Amino acid sequence: MDLTRRGFFKALGAASMTSFAFGMTQASPALAVEAEESWKLVNTEEYTNICCYCAGGCGSVCSVRDGELVNLEGDPDHPINQGGLCPKGATMFQLRNVVNPETREIEKSKVRQTKPLVRRPYSNKWEPISWKDAIAEIAQKTKETRDAGFVETEMVNGKKLVVNRCESIASLGGSQQNSEEEYLILKMMRALGIVAIDNQARV
Amino acid sequence: MTEKAILFDSSRCTACRGCQVACKCWNDLPSEPTAERPYDSVNWDGKFTHPADLNSCTRLITTFNDFESESSQKRVGWAFGRRACQHCTEAGCVNICPAGALHKDPETGFITYDQSKCIGCQNCSSACPFDVPRYEDQGGKTVINKCSGCVDRVAHGMKPACVTTCQSGALQFGDRDEMIALANERVEFLHDHGYEDACIYGVDEMAGLHVIQVLKHGMDAHGAVANPSIPVTATLSGILKPVTAVGAGATVLGLAAMFGLAAGYKRDTLVYNDATGDTISLETGEVTKQGNGPDERSVKEALTENLPFVGSKKGGDGDE
Amino acid sequence: MQNTDVILNIGSNSVENHPVSSKWLHKAHDKGAKWMVVDPRYTRTAEQADIYCPIRSGTDIAFYGGLYNYIITNLIEPGLAEYTKTGKNPSNYNFEYLINYTNASYILMKDYEFDPATGLFSGWNEDSETYDAHSWHYETEEEIPWDTSATGAYNWSVAKGVPEFDKPVLAVPKKDASLQNKRCVYQKFKEHYSRYDLDTVCKICGMDKADLELVYSTWATSCAPGKAGTILYALGQTQHTYGAQNTRAMSVLQLLSGNIGVPGGGVCALRGEPNVQGATDMGMLVNEQPAYLKWSNTTDRDTLAHWLSSQTYSDGYYTNKPKFMVSQLKEWFGENATVKNDYGYDWWPKVPSHDGSDWTEMSSFEKMKEGTMKGYYAWGMNPCHSAPNSGNVRRSMANLDWAVTVDQVITETASFWDAPDMKAEEIGTTCYFLPCALIYEKPGTILNSGRWIQWRQQAVEPWDEAKPDYEICDLLWTEIRRLYKEQGGANPDPILKMKWDYYLDGKIDPRPVSWALNGYALEGSDWKSGFKSDAKGEKLTSGSINLLPGYADLAADGSTACGMWIYSGFYSNNEAPVSAESQPVYGRDNTDYGGLGLYNKWAYSWPDNRRVIYNRASADMNGQPWNKDKCLVKWDNKAKAWTTGKNTDGYDNPDFVASKSVTDPKTGVVTTTAIEPNNKAFFMLWEQNGRLESYGMVDGPLPEHYEPFETPLSENLINGRLNSPCYLGRPDTEGKKGLGTKYSDESTRRASADEFPYVATTYSVTEHWQTGAQTRACPALVEAMPGDMIEMSPALAQEKGVKTGDKVRVWNRRAEVIVTAVVTPRIRPLTVNGKTQHLVGMTHHYSWSKLFGLTTHGAVNDLTPNVGDPNSQTPEYKAFLVNFEKTSI
Repeated sequence: MDLTRRGFFKALGAASMTSFAFGMTQASPALAVEAEESWKLVNTEEYTNICCYCAGGCGSVCSVRDGELVNLEGDPDHPINQGGLCPKGATMFQLRNVVNPETREIEKSKVRQTKPLVRRPYSNKWEPISWKDAIAEIAQKTKETRDAGFVETEMVNGKKLVVNRCESIASLGGSQQNSEEEYLILKMMRALGIVAIDNQARV
Repeated sequence: MTEKAILFDSSRCTACRGCQVACKCWNDLPSEPTAERPYDSVNWDGKFTHPADLNSCTRLITTFNDFESESSQKRVGWAFGRRACQHCTEAGCVNICPAGALHKDPETGFITYDQSKCIGCQNCSSACPFDVPRYEDQGGKTVINKCSGCVDRVAHGMKPACVTTCQSGALQFGDRDEMIALANERVEFLHDHGYEDACIYGVDEMAGLHVIQVLKHGMDAHGAVANPSIPVTATLSGILKPVTAVGAGATVLGLAAMFGLAAGYKRDTLVYNDATGDTISLETGEVTKQGNGPDERSVKEALTENLPFVGSKKGGDGDE
Repeated sequence: MQNTDVILNIGSNSVENHPVSSKWLHKAHDKGAKWMVVDPRYTRTAEQADIYCPIRSGTDIAFYGGLYNYIITNLIEPGLAEYTKTGKNPSNYNFEYLINYTNASYILMKDYEFDPATGLFSGWNEDSETYDAHSWHYETEEEIPWDTSATGAYNWSVAKGVPEFDKPVLAVPKKDASLQNKRCVYQKFKEHYSRYDLDTVCKICGMDKADLELVYSTWATSCAPGKAGTILYALGQTQHTYGAQNTRAMSVLQLLSGNIGVPGGGVCALRGEPNVQGATDMGMLVNEQPAYLKWSNTTDRDTLAHWLSSQTYSDGYYTNKPKFMVSQLKEWFGENATVKNDYGYDWWPKVPSHDGSDWTEMSSFEKMKEGTMKGYYAWGMNPCHSAPNSGNVRRSMANLDWAVTVDQVITETASFWDAPDMKAEEIGTTCYFLPCALIYEKPGTILNSGRWIQWRQQAVEPWDEAKPDYEICDLLWTEIRRLYKEQGGANPDPILKMKWDYYLDGKIDPRPVSWALNGYALEGSDWKSGFKSDAKGEKLTSGSINLLPGYADLAADGSTACGMWIYSGFYSNNEAPVSAESQPVYGRDNTDYGGLGLYNKWAYSWPDNRRVIYNRASADMNGQPWNKDKCLVKWDNKAKAWTTGKNTDGYDNPDFVASKSVTDPKTGVVTTTAIEPNNKAFFMLWEQNGRLESYGMVDGPLPEHYEPFETPLSENLINGRLNSPCYLGRPDTEGKKGLGTKYSDESTRRASADEFPYVATTYSVTEHWQTGAQTRACPALVEAMPGDMIEMSPALAQEKGVKTGDKVRVWNRRAEVIVTAVVTPRIRPLTVNGKTQHLVGMTHHYSWSKLFGLTTHGAVNDLTPNVGDPNSQTPEYKAFLVNFEKTSI
C-alpha cells in the first residue's frame, strides 16, 4: 500500500504537479477540504517550512486553520526527510503552543517571551517597554557608543589608512536567521563600522 | 482492507524518541513539565528511559538498555525498545470492556477506543498481558488513554504519527504480512552481521500482534514479554460477552467482580452477588462489603485497589 | 551517503545529532557498506555500526596519521613502481587520482622541513610565535602572465569600469609524476607520517591494536578505484586547538583515498545550526564578506586595488573574483558606488590585521573585560551558555554599557545579570530583550549542510508583539540612519551611502533581499520607484528587477550587482519575481533522476545547482567515471562534449570548466567550445589539484599531533612540543611579543592533570539542541531528557562511589557544576601510554534561565576552556580536565 500524503496541495491539484519548473505561481497555500468535523486537519491550509534545528534541512508541513497552527509534521514529499522528523523537529509545534496538563487544552507557550523588555542598570528585574521606545533607546545608545569608539583613519606602517572602524560594539549571531535577515544584519553592522562580527559557525 | 501492522525494527532504531514526542504532538498530550511546575532537572534519576513507563499522558516510550557483550568486537551493546500497545488479535481488553468502549478497528486490526463510552473501570489494564492501558482524569471522570494506532490518520491515508516521524526507517506501516516479510528479511540480515540473538516478535503472540518487532539483541534485552497470555479473564470472555449486551449500570459491577475473581491480582478472591449487591470472599465465604443496592464506587474501590495499575510489572525499561 | 562503501563516523554522533542522516546511512549499510565509529564513547551511532573503536578525546590527528602511514605502506608503496611503468591502476588503489588530481607530485621548496625533536615546521619565528609559510610553497617551473589582449581570456579585466589592479601571474609548479623526487609532496608526506606506526598511535589514542588495525584495513577497501568511503564529522573534530588541522586531516585522507568528488565519498561536515551554512556563506565573521570573499583589512586588503591584486587567483575559477567583488560593492552601495570612488570600498570598516589582534567571539569578551567593548548585539545566540568558560563571559558582559538580545525566550545571555553567581545591584548594563518570530512565523531562505538553498513559507503570524528579525533590523536601521542624517556624528557616510531599499508594497520584505543576493543587471532594474506587486503576487506593477540567471553573467565593470555570487541563480525567474514559490529555490520535483540521490530539481544547490562539488574527480583522466554505476559527469568522446546535468538525465552540473567561450571583440559573436578532459579537478584552487600539503594554514603545512590545552600527559609522545605552537589564547608569557590576542591565566585558568585527572568532553543529546533555548521550551523534550549528565565507566564509578542518578559535583579551576551521574559500560577506561586513563562525558543543555528543567547552578560550559584554533578561532570544548565527587543537594 502506498501511503503518500493526501490533501496536501490538493487544491492546487494539477498545478502542483507541474509546478516544478515555474508553474506554481502564487504563495497561496493549498486548502485541504475534509468533511468530518472531528478530523484534526479538517479545513486546514498547509505551508511548507524547513526545520530550525540542525543543518540537515528537513522539510516540514504546517497545518493552519483560522490563522492558527494546528499541526506540524515532516513533509512527506521532501527528499531528505521523506516525512520524518527527529524529536526536536517533531516538537516544533510546542515552540508556539503547548497542551495544558490540567485542562488538556492547547494554549500559547508561556515560556516564550513575546513582548519587548528592558532591564535598567542595577535593577534585578525586567520591565516592559514599547517597541517604539526600545528601538529609539537602542538606536541612540548605538550611535553614542559608535561615535565614542570610532576610528576613521589609522597609521599603518607609516601610511595613513581610511579604516572607518567602530571598535566598541560587537555583534554575535546569524545562524538562526534566514539568509535575507543575515544579509540585513551584516549590512547594518558593517555600515556601523563593526569588525567584531561573529556567529555560530565559529563554534 | 487487509490487516495492517506497525513494524518496529530495533536494529534501525536510533532511539531518538521522535515517535514518543510525535505521539504527544498529534494526540495533544501534555508532558510533565509545565510553566507552573518547570520540572527540576537536578532530580532526574539518570535513566534514559523517560518517563519511566507509560502514564496518563504518555502512550509510547522508547526504552534503553545498555550492556557489556564480550562476544562482539564492540564489546558493548545498547538495546532500544518501543513500549506501547501491541494491538493483539486476541485482545483481552476488548473482550473484558463492559462498556463497549474498546473495539477492534475492522479496517486495520488496531485496538481503538471511544473515551466517551469509557466508564473508568480499568478492567482492560488487567486483561492486558503487556500492562499498557493507562487512564486520565477528565473533569472527575477517569477514562482510558493508550495508543489508538492513529486510526484517524490511517483513515485519511496517512501513517500513524510515530511512523511518519521516524527518521531512520525503524518504524514502518503497511499490510501485516508485508511487515512480517520485511521483519524476517531483516532478522536474516542481522544473523549474517553477527547478531545471533536477533529475532522477530509479534507474529504469533496473542494470535498475532499488529506491532511486529525485530529485536536485534533478543527478546530479553529489548524488554519483550516472553509467551504473553491473557490473564485468566480470557476464559471468561465467553461469559462476559452476552452480559455486555445488557445495559450498563449493574452489569458493570458484575463484570468487574468476575474480572476480579479471574485476574488473580487480589489478596482475597472476591465475587459480587448481583442480586444482593454483596461482595463475598470466596476463600472465607465472608461478605466483605454489604450491598446496599448497586454501589458502583465501593465495589470498584475494592477491586481496583488490588490491581497493579501503578508502576511497571513488566515491560521494557531495561536501563542498566 | 547512500552511495558509499565505507562509513567512518569520527567526531560525529550523526545518528543522534543529525538524525535524518541515519536513514541514508542505513541505505548504504543495507547495500553492504561497512560502518565504523571512532569515538570516546559508545553512542547511539555506534550501536548502528559494525565496528566501534574508542579514542581519547583530542588525538584524532594521530589516528589519521597512522591511517596515512597504513595506506602508504600497504597500498601505495607496493604498487607505485608498477603503476609508473604501466599507467594502469591496480585493483586496490587509485594511483591515477593521486598523481593527477592531488599535489602529490609537486616539488616543495628546498628549505621545507619538519623537526620531530622540536615539533616545528620550517619557518617558525620564536619571537612572534608565528610561521612564515614561504618554505611550504612549491618550486616554480615557469611563470605565465594573464593574457589581457583584445582576444585574450582575461580581456575583461582591462575593460572600462573595471578597477585597476596588478594582474596575477601563474607560477606553474615543478612536478615529478613518478613521485620519486625526494622533495616532492608525496615523499615529504611519507617521511612525515612514517613516525605514526600502529604502536605509537595506540599509545597516544588509547586504542586496542587489533581494533585499530581492523578500522584501518576496513577503510583501506575504500581506496580501490570505483569504491568510495565517506567521513562524517562534526564538532568533535573542529572544537580543538588544532580543529582546523583535524578538518584538513580528513580532507587529506580523502584525497589520499581518492574519495573526494565521487558519489558516496567526501568529507561530510554535519553542521549544527539550521542556517550556519547560510551564515558562513554570508560571511558573518570578522574577516569574511559574503560568498567566501575576504573582508577588507589594514594589510593586503587596505585598498580595492590591493584587494583585487591579493585575492584574485592566477588560475582556476577564482580568476573571476573581481567580477564578484565589484558586483558585491555595487549591491552594497548602489548608485553611490562608482569606479571613481573604488565602488565605495573605503566605506567598509577595515579589520586591523597589522597588529594580529583577534576580534572573534572569544576575544570580544576579553575586550569587554578590558572595557573597550561597550555595546553588544546577540542575534539568537547565547554565549553565556554556549561560549567556553561561560562564567568568564558573564563577568565580561557586566562591563557593557548596553546589550541587546533578539530571541524567542529569555536566554542566559539576555539575563546574564540574573545568574546565580552575579550581583544585579552591581551591574550597570542596560539590557534589552527584543522578541523575534519563530521560523514558521516568517518567510525566507535557509541553507542546509549540503548547500541546498530552500524557501520557508510563513504559516502563521507571530504571537503578540514578536517580529521577524528582518523587521527588527529594519526598525533599528531606519532609526539609526535618521539620527545620523539629522544629527551627524562620527563619519556618517558609510551609513548614509549604503543601499537599503528592500521594501515591497511599502514594507520591509525578504524577497527584494533575495533579488539582491541572487544578483541583477543594473539595466532593467529600477529600485527607485518603489516596488509594488500585482494582485496575483507574481509580477511588479511598480519598480522593476532584472534578475541574473547565474554568476557567469556577473561583470567587474559595475553593470551588475550581486550580494552573494555563489547563490546566483537561486531566485532568477523574471516572470514572477514576487513569487518565491515560482523560483528555482522552491523547486519541488523530488524525482531522483539518476538514482544517486542528487534530486537536481528539488530546491537549489549552490553553486549553479551543483549537487556534488568537485565532481570532476568522479571521473578518470579520460572523463570516464571510476564506477560506471555511479556517474556524475562523463566525457562523450564521439560528440566531443561533456554529458552533464542541466536537464533531468541524472547527471550533475559540472563543478569544473567544461567549456570556454570567447567573444570576438569586433563582431561580438560568442564561440563556445568544450574543454577536453584534463587534470583540473579542483578548480576553486589556483593549482586546480587537491592539496595533501598546504601553505594556507597558520599552524603547519601538514597535520601533526599535539596535545589539547589541558592534557593528562606531560609530554607529546610523537614530537617535542606539547601543544600546538600558536593556538588562540596562549598564556601571556613574559618576554614573548607573540602576535595575536593572548589571554591571561585569569581568563583561561588552565587545569593540570595532578589535580584534575579526568579527561572530559562535551556533547549534545538528540532530544536537545545547543543551549536548549528552544528545546527547553518544549515540554515533551524536557520530559524525554530532563537534565544534564556526566557519563562514566562502571570502573570509575566504583572508584568514586557513584551510582546512576547520584548528583555529582564536577569542577576545575574555572567553575563547578552539579549534574546527574550516568554509569554505563558505553564508556570504558583507555590505556594511554601504558596507564589507565578515565574519560567522562557531559551534556551541556541546561542552565539557570527560566525555561523548563531548572538548575540552580551554572552551565556545563562554565567548565570548558576559552582557548581555540588559530585558523578558525573555534574553542576547544572537546577535551579538557575535571575532577568530580558525589554530592548531595
